[in-house]
Amino acid sequence: AAAGALGRAGWRLWRGRAVVRCQHCPPLRALQASAVLRRVSDEHKKEPLTSSSQQHFDSHPTGHQPDQEPQGPHPSYTGHGGQESEDYESEEQLQHRILTAALEFVPEHGWTAEAIAEGAKTLGLSVAAAGMFHSDGSELILHFVSECNSKLSELLEQEQKLVQLGEAEKKPTDEFLRDAVEARLRMLIPYIEKWPQALSVLLLPRNIPSSLSLLTSMIDDIWHYAGDQSTDFNWYTRRAVLTGIYNTTELVMLQDSSPDFEDTWRFLENRVADAMSMSNTASQVQSTGEAVVQGLMGAAVTVSN
Amino acid sequence: CRCRALLRRPAGAPQALRGMAAGPDMHFGFETVTEEERREKIYQVFESVAKKYDVMNDSMTLGIHRVWKDILINRMNPTPGTLLLDVAGGTGDIAFRFINYVRSVRQQQLQRKLKHNQNLSWQEIFESYQEGNSNSLGDSQVVVCDINREMLKVGKQKAQHLGYSEGLSWVLGNAEELPFDDDNFDVYTIAFGIRNVTRIDLALQEAYRVLKPGGRFLCLEFSHVSNPVLSSLYDLYSFQVIPVLGEIIAGDWKSYQYLVESIRQFPPQEELKAMIEDAGFFKVDYENLNFGIVAIHSGFKL
Repeated sequence: AAAGALGRAGWRLWRGRAVVRCQHCPPLRALQASAVLRRVSDEHKKEPLTSSSQQHFDSHPTGHQPDQEPQGPHPSYTGHGGQESEDYESEEQLQHRILTAALEFVPEHGWTAEAIAEGAKTLGLSVAAAGMFHSDGSELILHFVSECNSKLSELLEQEQKLVQLGEAEKKPTDEFLRDAVEARLRMLIPYIEKWPQALSVLLLPRNIPSSLSLLTSMIDDIWHYAGDQSTDFNWYTRRAVLTGIYNTTELVMLQDSSPDFEDTWRFLENRVADAMSMSNTASQVQSTGEAVVQGLMGAAVTVSN
Repeated sequence: CRCRALLRRPAGAPQALRGMAAGPDMHFGFETVTEEERREKIYQVFESVAKKYDVMNDSMTLGIHRVWKDILINRMNPTPGTLLLDVAGGTGDIAFRFINYVRSVRQQQLQRKLKHNQNLSWQEIFESYQEGNSNSLGDSQVVVCDINREMLKVGKQKAQHLGYSEGLSWVLGNAEELPFDDDNFDVYTIAFGIRNVTRIDLALQEAYRVLKPGGRFLCLEFSHVSNPVLSSLYDLYSFQVIPVLGEIIAGDWKSYQYLVESIRQFPPQEELKAMIEDAGFFKVDYENLNFGIVAIHSGFKL
């Protein structure tokens, strides 16, 4: 049985770039009317998600699932009926649903297996389904972060469309960055009390590859929509700077008790301004340096004459 | 499906199956016997070892079986409110551990609630007590099911002796034909029992049937050691030491000879995994403990 081939928990959610990974499902599995993996409705037929060589969290697309034919209707324990088993949901999609449902219980139970168990309950599953995930809640947190990142990307995409259609003004870079980071951080507000716990879990060695890749892809997205087209070393400095801004602002936010986190946004504004002026300073230093060199050359020529 | 038709049979299955033909040849340890004979012999084995079961477990495994069972419950990580079915649970080891675990998780939950409530008025706190939140097990329950009356008797006595009363039920039943309804339990465990089931596939199908959607199947069982050095040491210990211990401590050489032989006859990890998948479980995986001497298989009814 190739069930082992199904879904390795990895987290590269790179929107839009998807290659169908061909999983091979043992024919028998789909035929036994699975109790829960339900017939996927149209809402689930998103663009197939990809896997780059390595990690790929989300489901393999539904259309790809069993193309083997069911041997006619067979008794199903849950009465899902012996319909054509073309579009059953995969395990990963089910896990996705459970994690999404679990988010609502996080403020009360924290990022734990208990929250996942409660989430499973709301979907009509047994609480034991939480056993599918790690007991420290890593998958829940990573799921949340990747969901937030996708939401941010959608937001930025829509804004860009508006600008292209001429319905909105193109923002200057610093304002753009500020708004993007603020929008992303605001998504943490409902979970802000338990967020420190989440951060510590994200820093566990086991989770660092995934959390780091999610962070870098988010920062990259923001710069992409900010219109960054650099192909030189600037690419790295820009991302490093923004990562620094994001992380520090996040930490400030955790300790902020001002109404609607005003202090945090002011901090963010200052940091972005610093970053902008730093880049100005850098180019000023460069041109000053050039001017000084030219002056010296001129003086040398004069003296030699 | 056969299992469905036999749903309402009363427990105490060995008698019911006598009417069937003797059945195909099966193994009983290294002997070959018919299906029916095998069931009877196994019943007799456990009938005779029941009283000394726990003592023998401790001496054979040098107490490590306790750790294995602890690890099983730890992997299960049950939340309060879980309904557990422990099949072949005989003397109740898994059931008691489950109750302890759930009790301590519940304590932590209640403490956290209390901390949360620290800024309520004393009146509100008092009212929250009335809500009956002080249920120490959080509505968790465990049903211990075993085919052997003697083992259940020993289990009940142990429970009384150790002071376990709430959340525990004892049922006589056959793993191949469970006397329970569909979609009932959150977790199904079978610790060191599936080896003694004559038709493993039936037991797995029954497990699938009685679990709720999303429910978990957990199996703790002796398995295959792949490391050759360890394997030869293990064989030496099994065949030379264990039956002797059986004779000295329990006065029963043959039962323990059967035990070690049955371990060798049992399918190895990958094969058992395939059988579990065949029964319909998803996300089937196994974890070796002690290099494969024991393995925990887990699957979900999805």
